[in-house]
Amino acid sequence: MQSTDTEFMIPSTVAEALQGIGREDSIFLGGGTATALLYKNRLIEPSRVIWLGNIAELKGISITQSEVRIGAMTSVAEIAGHSRLAGLLPGLCAAASVIGNARVRAMATLGGALAHADPRQDIPPSLIAVNATISIKSASSSREVSLSEFYEGFLETVLEPDELITEVIIPISDNRSSAYIRYTPTSEGDYPTVGVGSSLTVASDMKTVVSAQIVLCGVGAVPMIATEAANSLVGTTGDDQALRRAASLVSEAIDPQDDERGTADYKTEMSKVFAYRSLKLSSGN
Amino acid sequence: MKISFSLNGKGIELDVDPMSLALDVIRGLSLTGTKEGCGVGVCGACTIMVNGSPVSSCICLVGTLSEKDVWTIEGLAEKMPELIDSFVENEGMQCGICTPGQIVAAAAIDSVGANTPEEIKKYMAGNLCRCTGYQTILSAVEDHVAIN
Repeated sequence: MQSTDTEFMIPSTVAEALQGIGREDSIFLGGGTATALLYKNRLIEPSRVIWLGNIAELKGISITQSEVRIGAMTSVAEIAGHSRLAGLLPGLCAAASVIGNARVRAMATLGGALAHADPRQDIPPSLIAVNATISIKSASSSREVSLSEFYEGFLETVLEPDELITEVIIPISDNRSSAYIRYTPTSEGDYPTVGVGSSLTVASDMKTVVSAQIVLCGVGAVPMIATEAANSLVGTTGDDQALRRAASLVSEAIDPQDDERGTADYKTEMSKVFAYRSLKLSSGN
Repeated sequence: MKISFSLNGKGIELDVDPMSLALDVIRGLSLTGTKEGCGVGVCGACTIMVNGSPVSSCICLVGTLSEKDVWTIEGLAEKMPELIDSFVENEGMQCGICTPGQIVAAAAIDSVGANTPEEIKKYMAGNLCRCTGYQTILSAVEDHVAIN
């Protein structure tokens, strides 16, 4: 490994971290599972690395009646193993529990998993399906962005170089159910051929679907949001026929490429199959 | 840069490049039980235990170990002889290259609370054995979980 003059900062507050990011080639470091690989392959050579592991205010899960807030430095393993969260956001917990392996889940953080922006990652579709927003801060400003508008391309997001994701906010509702399922034909810990996050929100009769979301990873440069497919469920009772019809429509919303995880045609077919299975899980039937 | 952490139960301060890999730093301290396998966090041969959780030392920048409680196979073998016994009694090894990682992963199993054979299997799924001696490894881990 190369020896470097990289400056390594260990701030203990968000304010201190944001002060430190001034330079163009500075980066924030979360768990490091992605950054260490980019660094050891010399794909990045930052002059300053700001490790966020010592900032208590970026960690933890808080739950109120109307929302869940998860700090950006909360580990994927903590999300995967959080029993109360599993009841409220089963799709997110399912996604967190299948990422990589136990070691990656222990090290990787929620903020890092979102900012890395590899389109095959499991967590983004599970969170976009439940209308998550993210809090973003810089030394001079703060803003909230819907996660559905966060991704711009392969490894590209709307984050400015001096901005940090501090928190993820997910609205909760008794009438909403969610799920995440993925297809990994090569090995359990691999990135998926396709992964599908979904949610169904029903009216007070607990039957009629009033809104739905279907979001896919692995089949485009960003998480792919199948709006038309999801909207086809509105007004139905989420019966099997409606779920199958919606799943068949996801092919219109995706842009898969041939690679070692399947041809574009194969991924399209698997997207329909796994969209149906995800919706079936969300419907509870 | 000076990085201090606890290694196998003893405080240590190292003057290292914080961007070097934990794997290289640990092996550089003559703790060569930790093996490099795939080098990309997939195989588990380089597993160390950090604050009770399993970590791939090949994708762990040593700066992120600052002030943490770090254990390698050498320290765990002394601290948890009964865990080593479980692997020996079940013959939970063949060629041996993955064995330190398997044992460290087993030592850290409390971090996820895996108890049933199915949970244990899912937890251990990230530690690969190219000899495919999985059943005896799983038996060893099941024995360890049952005793504790």
